[in-house]
Amino acid sequence: MNATHESTDTMTAKTGTAKTGTVHVSGLTVRHRRTVALDGIDLDLGPGVHGLLGPNGAGKTSLIRVLATVSRPAAGRVTLLGHECTVHPELTAARRRIGYLPQDFGYYPGFTVRDFVAYVAWLKQVPGDAAGAAVERAVARVGLTDRIDAKLKTLSGGTVRRAGLAQAIVNDPDVLLLDEPTAGLDPEQRVAFRELVRELGEEATVLVSTHLVEDVAVACTGVTLLEGGRVVYRGTPESLAAEAETEAEAEAGRAVTTAAVAGALSGGPVERGYLAVLRDHRAAASVTAPPASRTGAHR
Amino acid sequence: MTGERFEGSEGPGVFAPARAAWHVDVAVGARYAEGTLSEPEAWSLEMHVEGCSRCAATVSVAVRATAPAGAVLEEVRGAVLGGVREAVLGGVREAALEEVRGALLADVLEGAAPQRPTTPLPQHLARVLWAAGPALRGSWLIALLVVCVGAVVLGYGAGFAGTRPLLLALAPVLPVAGVAFSYGPHADPMYEIGAASPSGGLRLLLTRSAAVLGVSLPLLTAVSALLPDAPGLPAAPAWLLPGLALTLGALALGSYVGSRTAAGVVSAGWASAVLLPVLAAQPGDGGGAGTFPVAALAGQLARYLSGGPAQSAWAAAALLGAALVLVRRGRLENL
Repeated sequence: MNATHESTDTMTAKTGTAKTGTVHVSGLTVRHRRTVALDGIDLDLGPGVHGLLGPNGAGKTSLIRVLATVSRPAAGRVTLLGHECTVHPELTAARRRIGYLPQDFGYYPGFTVRDFVAYVAWLKQVPGDAAGAAVERAVARVGLTDRIDAKLKTLSGGTVRRAGLAQAIVNDPDVLLLDEPTAGLDPEQRVAFRELVRELGEEATVLVSTHLVEDVAVACTGVTLLEGGRVVYRGTPESLAAEAETEAEAEAGRAVTTAAVAGALSGGPVERGYLAVLRDHRAAASVTAPPASRTGAHR
Repeated sequence: MTGERFEGSEGPGVFAPARAAWHVDVAVGARYAEGTLSEPEAWSLEMHVEGCSRCAATVSVAVRATAPAGAVLEEVRGAVLGGVREAVLGGVREAALEEVRGALLADVLEGAAPQRPTTPLPQHLARVLWAAGPALRGSWLIALLVVCVGAVVLGYGAGFAGTRPLLLALAPVLPVAGVAFSYGPHADPMYEIGAASPSGGLRLLLTRSAAVLGVSLPLLTAVSALLPDAPGLPAAPAWLLPGLALTLGALALGSYVGSRTAAGVVSAGWASAVLLPVLAAQPGDGGGAGTFPVAALAGQLARYLSGGPAQSAWAAAALLGAALVLVRRGRLENL
């Protein structure tokens, strides 16, 4: 895993974006009416697969929607692939290179998988003579070639989700934003999905928001943990797993607490690390108002 | 008397002309309705009734009086009317779609390299349908067609003199509603994906607005030109510039408050500008024979739409709206 991590860093240097990553965010604040969804976060991501973890309402979807240029931040700067995402020509240039799988998406009644992906290829301005092949390639990569001419409304939730992933990669994006991509997939499809995402992450910057810590442990090279609209942890799956061990050492000798029980019930070491970081953060937040952000080995 | 003749020995023969010098009386009509008339007699009555409206009325009354036949007739009537409505609506809708397809196709044909083998539809046609798609499917188009068919039926079928002023009053807000129903997070199931793509923002919004205008401007103008004229009413095409201006105004306002709210505000503004003075003036100068103030509405519309100055003002408003859309294009890129 360390090897993968190093190769990611070299690739960042190679693509000439050493100064800032392909995705750069500073002081990003997003409000929904009165509530603050994101509270001045800074983030710098390069090629690789980045897991975005956090409880419900932490701001994962808000962050992904801003990066997808779908919603506007109240404050802060977003740079995608060196394009400032506020002015028109730059915004269009950035949008051509983005792939986006929303948490919920609809489609027109009567659309087949092919229509759906081809429509997005057209929206993404994939050149007309290359579009047909690009559509078939994207559909093949998510393993839906045999269903390409099936109507979307006849397909199961997991299959529609895979069609959604196909539309997100049809333009071979440099920045791929996936909001809960594994929701509704069965275990076998999830394994196939992780393989695909790792492959995509060799060239593109992939940001995956998920509830399934397992996905992060297996597929991701970096982890970002959001809580209450702030980044509370950045690191790798390994460093997150290590958090659980230090926690366990600290707790050794003490009586069995509810925290330890929770730790025993949760699956892998990364999941225990996730819970440990959240618990620490909440404890710190209840003592001092502005929570200090923790940083792992990655930064 | 007439009935006697009918029942007379000479009786209607098979080759007897339908317009024979006899007529159906109430008793015969009742027997026909009950089904007790002999077959040749019934046949001959039917032939006669085709050419004689007086007897047709007599038979019709008799048939309606017998309960089972009345019910059957109601059913048949419902089915026939339903069928006709479906056929008319379907026909008009197809024609409108064809028209838009044709018009938009011409624009897109240049440039797009046709690319056949991988897609079932020709590529450019598919693109046009994708771009205009949601604008032309669904509830708005049906509403538009209902208004058009309803106006024709009301104007000719019921002979309602206020139809044309009413249609002219309603016409400018129909494209505004069409734009609100064709684009945006509430109207387009693929909005979220489209909003993250280079063609999905302003370009798609404008394409769909153009499709909406392309269908509604000619259709509504043609229908209102067909309707019976009311005195003092502006000509049918007088609403075109206001329709365009209000649509552009709704687009520009949409960049501040969202497209649905903007459409609501613009429509309400137009409706109150037209209807409030009419309602205020009604007690004094009713104009129309019934309760509907045809003349007052026509006069109000003429004040807004007729003449060079009014039309120039609408043209200026349309230009201003277009300029505002241009200025606000950044905001319209992601609503």
